[in-house]
Amino acid sequence: MSATSITIGLAASPSTTTSRKGGFFVKKAFFICALLIYGLLMFNQRQSRAEKMSHKDFATMELKDCNSCHKEQGIPLTHDNDWAGRHHQNTDWMGEHRALAGKAGTNCIECHAQSFCNDCHIGGGVNPALRTPNFKRNYMPKNHRSDFISIHPLKAKDNQQACIRCHNQKFCSDCHSRFPKGSLRIKSHRPAGANNQIYAASNWAIDHSAEARRNLMSCQTCHPSGDVCIQCHGSGKVRPHPRNWKAGNFKERGGIKVCLKCHLPGTF
Amino acid sequence: MGYKMGLLRTVLFGTVLLTASSALAAELRGRASTQYLWFNNIFDGDKQAEFAQHLNFSLTNIDPDKKLSLHGYGRLSQDVMNGDGLDGRLFYLYADYRDLMDKLDVRLGRQFVNYAAGSSLIDGGMIDLKNIGPVAFSVMGGRNVFYGIDGELTNSKDWVFGTAAYLTGYPTTDAELSYYLKFDKYGIAREQIGAMFRHYLFGGLKLYGNTRFDMASETFDEILAGAKYFVNNNLVVTGEWFQSYPVFDYTSIYSVFAVDRYQEGVFRTDYTINKMFAVRGAYKYQDYGSNTEGHVFEAGLKVRPFETLMLDVAYDRRQGYAGDLDGFTLDIQYDYTPNLQLAGGVAYDVYQKDSMTGNTTAQTYWLGTRYRLNKTMSFDARLQDNVNVGNFDHDWSGRLAFNYDF
Repeated sequence: MSATSITIGLAASPSTTTSRKGGFFVKKAFFICALLIYGLLMFNQRQSRAEKMSHKDFATMELKDCNSCHKEQGIPLTHDNDWAGRHHQNTDWMGEHRALAGKAGTNCIECHAQSFCNDCHIGGGVNPALRTPNFKRNYMPKNHRSDFISIHPLKAKDNQQACIRCHNQKFCSDCHSRFPKGSLRIKSHRPAGANNQIYAASNWAIDHSAEARRNLMSCQTCHPSGDVCIQCHGSGKVRPHPRNWKAGNFKERGGIKVCLKCHLPGTF
Repeated sequence: MGYKMGLLRTVLFGTVLLTASSALAAELRGRASTQYLWFNNIFDGDKQAEFAQHLNFSLTNIDPDKKLSLHGYGRLSQDVMNGDGLDGRLFYLYADYRDLMDKLDVRLGRQFVNYAAGSSLIDGGMIDLKNIGPVAFSVMGGRNVFYGIDGELTNSKDWVFGTAAYLTGYPTTDAELSYYLKFDKYGIAREQIGAMFRHYLFGGLKLYGNTRFDMASETFDEILAGAKYFVNNNLVVTGEWFQSYPVFDYTSIYSVFAVDRYQEGVFRTDYTINKMFAVRGAYKYQDYGSNTEGHVFEAGLKVRPFETLMLDVAYDRRQGYAGDLDGFTLDIQYDYTPNLQLAGGVAYDVYQKDSMTGNTTAQTYWLGTRYRLNKTMSFDARLQDNVNVGNFDHDWSGRLAFNYDF
């Protein structure tokens, strides 16, 4: 951390001046390349015989009927071979669509209103399928299967990014904080008297760090302020940062509030 | 405060709708759904029942050039049993003006924005600049809106901004490069660069991928690369590799901790045998780092013995880090008449969070029906029993809905 800070604080030395010149050249080269690529693309677009067309006029068509046009142009359907004629039910559309939908100017909107996204991602329920369950007044997509409250700890460990595509990280704390402290069964914690739990491990140093590194988001769920982490890591004896820690990057953006939880002012 | 804001938005929502609907040439389409829901509240163990009103509309053809449209979607609910009060959620309410000078699309209001670098529900605006060549540009910004269990958790200083450049006009290629910046009350909470790519080759091969690069930690916090091969109209083979490096808001203490990279590889096949049968199977290898792994197997079968009946069975088995899960879902849907649909299903999971807990089951059973009274009105009913849930032996819940399409 300190090494990064020192580098940032140095005045321009001959070596940094050289690297700036080099950087300028790289930027110039990058700019020229970008212009060339743009020109090439523009030329190529003009040559293109079949321009991408609006799908608005075909929005009500059965997906299986789209093939007649798509096959001619050699473009498989975005929604794959929907055998049942019910959009997105037969193939891996759920996992795949983020690559395309996560793009500005996507043509999803030509057939789908935003409510189509909202009903899965934000819990809307103006037109839910009969199979769609609800938690309280919010509707849930079908990957929240069976008793999702019971099995979500398993699912949440699979791929932490999957949860935060729809839920802000504060969502987890908002729910967990409503239960009495110590009442939730956590794999690595054991009861410690009334309304309390303690981390149980045969080898504290190894076990807790391995678990935290694999699923830090679950720690945050019940300890949003990180109070339990700071008890030890705040002493300075155990460095929690990753090897290539870019302290300056975080300070520039988020300020020093986080740093001050462990470091004294002027020491970092 | 949040409650008042929600109420205010709902009033605005209604006002705009009424005002807009009075425009003579305009075309108003949408759905109003009046619902009655009942369930057990897991937080206090009491039964709860609510009336909810959903409204989704699109108002088009407002101006002579048909460039302006209004879109809205919201929900208002009132608990009538447990004292949980009034709750509102405005999913979106925005004005969309397309093809301004044949080059600009402008969207103002609450809306869902989605770039490769990040997505958000915002109170703000989004402008797309197009028809200037093979690359189009987009810029967006506004108040970042996000929800907790019962309402908005947004603070007054939660903002997001973003910009994107994307390829346009190519039938076989999509690509985007974008930038996403998120603020909270302490400063910049997230700064990311994202990219996506999709390309069709040889008429039957699709390559796709997306990535996000976190500027503060200087790591790729997400990478997806996939290929889908359409062997023929009935057989699709998919291979994917995904990795993520969890990142946290820079203003959170959790952003300073070291984490492990997560990776997964997926192989999946979807095969439509004939008009009656379709099958699918998938294997997912999960690598949590430090020699910790998981294996997920999925198999599915869809049967449509005749046009009006469909059965969908899915089997899941996962083993390894995070616990074991072995279960299936079965959904049946039967169109008894063109206007009456009957449906039902089971989800049965045996899971083990760790060796101390042993096997536990999670089961849900549900029945539902949809009756279409005429072209504009329909009625839904759904009943569910959740067995072996932690707080209730039989957690009964259900809903009745009257839907009006206009």
